[in-house]
Amino acid sequence: MKRALLVLALLLGAALWLMVPRPYDWGLAKGIPAPDVPVNNPMSQAKVELGRWLFYDTRLSINGAFSCASCHVQALAFTDGRARSVGATGDLHPRNAMSLVNSAYASRLTWANSLTASLEDQALTPLFGDNPIEMGLGGLEEQLTALFRDDERYADLFREAFPTQERPGTVINMVRAISAFTRSIVSFRSPYDAWLAGDAVAISESAQRGEALFFSERLECFHCHGGFNFTDSTTHEDARVARFGYHNTGLYNLGNTGAYPADNPGLIDITGKRRDMGKFRAPTLRNISVTAPYMHDGSIATLEGVIEHYARGGRLIEDGPNAGDGNVNPFKSEFIRGFDLSDSEKQDLLAFLVSLTDDAALNDPRWSSPWADVTAAGEAVTAAETRQ
Amino acid sequence: MRRSLLLILLTLSACESHQQQISIEFDVAFNGEAIGCDSELPVALTDLRFFIHDLELTAVDGAVIPARLPRDSAWQNGVVAFIDLENGQGGCDDGTPEANPRVVAEVAGNVDLETLRELQFTLGVPFELNHDNPLEAAPPLDDASMHWHWRSGYKFLRAGVETEGDGFWFHLGSTACQGTTGNISGCDSPNRPRVELTAFNPQTDSVVIDIGRLFNGVDLEDGVTSDCSSGPTEESCPAVLATLGLGTEDPLILDGLFSARPIQTTASR
Repeated sequence: MKRALLVLALLLGAALWLMVPRPYDWGLAKGIPAPDVPVNNPMSQAKVELGRWLFYDTRLSINGAFSCASCHVQALAFTDGRARSVGATGDLHPRNAMSLVNSAYASRLTWANSLTASLEDQALTPLFGDNPIEMGLGGLEEQLTALFRDDERYADLFREAFPTQERPGTVINMVRAISAFTRSIVSFRSPYDAWLAGDAVAISESAQRGEALFFSERLECFHCHGGFNFTDSTTHEDARVARFGYHNTGLYNLGNTGAYPADNPGLIDITGKRRDMGKFRAPTLRNISVTAPYMHDGSIATLEGVIEHYARGGRLIEDGPNAGDGNVNPFKSEFIRGFDLSDSEKQDLLAFLVSLTDDAALNDPRWSSPWADVTAAGEAVTAAETRQ
Repeated sequence: MRRSLLLILLTLSACESHQQQISIEFDVAFNGEAIGCDSELPVALTDLRFFIHDLELTAVDGAVIPARLPRDSAWQNGVVAFIDLENGQGGCDDGTPEANPRVVAEVAGNVDLETLRELQFTLGVPFELNHDNPLEAAPPLDDASMHWHWRSGYKFLRAGVETEGDGFWFHLGSTACQGTTGNISGCDSPNRPRVELTAFNPQTDSVVIDIGRLFNGVDLEDGVTSDCSSGPTEESCPAVLATLGLGTEDPLILDGLFSARPIQTTASR
């Protein structure tokens, strides 16, 4: 009798244990803090999985030809290799596509918008914005909810991702799932991380010298690109405050007035404050070797070019509509003072930056397209039918 | 006694809840001429949609009569009304087939409609509703194409015209906002112009917005389709914002930007 009770208690305990929701497993190494997650969009494996299907689905665009992944390619650390991105209908975006890797830790999103502090808020711009059109989903809300209701795969995925909701296939849940998927893309498995963790040969001696240069007062890189995510706009679960910063790096100085090109003036467009002219957020440097071209408008083609820009303390554009010497831009950050760097030191710095490339993240099947398998299977079926 | 008291109370409450509805029609013109999405060039409409709130009427004795904008299924939510004067046709192909040229306003039952002589309203969405998530909002604030996600608020007005080899479009909304989306504390440029029609009879007149006046300072013949998104550094903006009395110490509000026109004329056009 006693034994039966014990078994019953054990069974009950096991059942209860199974019912307790498991915390989401980010797959983070020890010592890396978990991202801060909005209370109204908790992470779950099912939600991330739904977000993955949505992220790669071209039906989430005005013309069925475009998905989030069109501008955010995994192999390129979720950038697109273009100087400036092109939307579904051919609109040229004023900005370069930012990496989505570790955007979970970004205290502010995009290049220059101090209003946007969550992926859920940011996602609305590429999804619904019309200037420029990116995905172009404005006005297609009914079409989307019909898809999520009528498509069997989506009906199941939405139900699993939002199990307590009666009609989970909504546009806002679409945004939540895409945000959860994006948030799940974390990258801390680079050779540099391995070296930090104690693997003395994970990065070359040249890269180690480059690291010392990067963190030197001579080069000043770390003031804006510091911390575990190599950007000063970083927050996480245990952060006391969500720090963020915007910097004018002397990339332009139109007519030596301090102005940046009109289609890309920086934070001033949001705040209206003159002092915010040309200010942009420092992006993470993780995976920076695969995210060329560089800067907010993709106007520097290579990492070497970026280093030269900072070594000069700002870019000189001699002629054309953007002519001016960025070095004397009155709004320029105090940390952009220029420095002398020998060729071998430059190679060292480059080697360090390359050591931040996380090949595991760039190839991780958790973040690759789920449609590839489906499409391949579908094509196989079609081929078999054709043969018959 | 008790019964008569009850009757009085019932009558009183009936009086209180009695509202008179006024339907106010809106129309669009270009420098006094009719214009639509299907107009033949030299000038055609490409967009005209806007929100209004805080509608008031003034009686001949100077009394200001506030009007409610009662909730309906699509165009009004009790506070804000959405006017859509494009039909998705012709140059308005970024728009929607549904149009809504009117506001339904309610005034208290004891107002004599015959005495109303002036109309005032504010263009835009009030601050209290402007920074909510459009995906969670009730109509008409659920329209993502009227929302400015990156500026964290609604486009109060979208207006555009096409001319031969040229054109202009304008989006008005609050800018220079502080805080973060979901927690906006205020905006340095609220950009909510107050419109006043001093000779307006709600029973016989419609409200005409003249885009030619709105775009008076814009070069529509320079061969470049330009735009203004109310941004503080956009070159095209000061001229347009000034016609709404915004962003300048020296407003340039032209006669006829908003005007009253007898409905009969509209109908016989």
